[in-house]
Amino acid sequence: MKELTEKQRDALSELLNMGFARTAASLSQLTGNRVLLDAPYVSIHPIKKLSKELANFVTGEIATVQQIFTGNVSGNALLLLNYDGALVLSDLIDPDLEYEDENDQKNDQKNNQKKRKTPNPEILTEIGNILLNSCMSVFGNILNISISFSVPRLYLEALDGLLHSLVIQDEEMRYAMLVYTSFRLKENAVTGYMIMILSVSSLDNLLVAVEHWADELLEDA
Amino acid sequence: MVKILITDDSSLSRKILKKMLSQEDYEIMEAENGLRAMEVYFLEKPDVMLLDLAMPDISGLEVLAKIRELDSQAKIIIATADLQDLTIKATQEAGAVGYITKPFNKEKVLETIHQVLNNS
Repeated sequence: MKELTEKQRDALSELLNMGFARTAASLSQLTGNRVLLDAPYVSIHPIKKLSKELANFVTGEIATVQQIFTGNVSGNALLLLNYDGALVLSDLIDPDLEYEDENDQKNDQKNNQKKRKTPNPEILTEIGNILLNSCMSVFGNILNISISFSVPRLYLEALDGLLHSLVIQDEEMRYAMLVYTSFRLKENAVTGYMIMILSVSSLDNLLVAVEHWADELLEDA
Repeated sequence: MVKILITDDSSLSRKILKKMLSQEDYEIMEAENGLRAMEVYFLEKPDVMLLDLAMPDISGLEVLAKIRELDSQAKIIIATADLQDLTIKATQEAGAVGYITKPFNKEKVLETIHQVLNNS
């Protein structure tokens, strides 16, 4: 497995800390709630082993917003939210906008169960767009690298399926930079994680840029 | 000599702050987590503490509350990447005397420390 040096890990953690702080500020503005951030933990894993690693802390149903980014550093950015948290979040942002999945309704009626509310896909996708962009833009600005984003996509499926499709789509995407930072709001009702999946060359470019940034910070201090 | 305690789990941030403060006649101490910060604080009684918020064991906000509970005169400046207005408000309510954000600006860091020292 690719190992990070202590200097790389420290600099990356600080960079992610700043990126997540911007994300939290955006989320706080959107919801009117204070967002609690844990200290970031960074690790690099072969993408094929990512599911196993994620299983340590992501449990149950999740909603994932995926956004592809391109530039000197290119890859996939994923925002993972616990499913119930995604519901809370979409309610917080637009409590009047009811959304019920038609298929769920049919199933619920058939099973004679209470109708289950589904997170509003439009709202969740836009939340993902704002949060992923605010975090990645900080990386771009700080590291002085240009990053372009694709249209975000929402997946309300098990993470395994999504990760599997990423592996199949691009064999070069061999490493995932796992950003183990969780954020919580509304007394832990909403928890989330962000993951960046990078190609080998992008990961190398990112590490060079991060080390350069850390050296400059120390020189300028 | 004025004693300043820098608390941050990131060695990079501690190094940056230490270098920024080195041009002043300060005695600098460091702590890499919340527990160590409380230990050093009560052993050394620094004049000012720079305190990060997102740390692995105890959050900076808890450290701030604990120290202020035991020493109501503690001068603690929050040094964090957190930009939320609600966080700034929470730290003010917990007794922080200043708030500086990452990436650190040397002038802002020194100015905030000078203000806190001049007001004490």
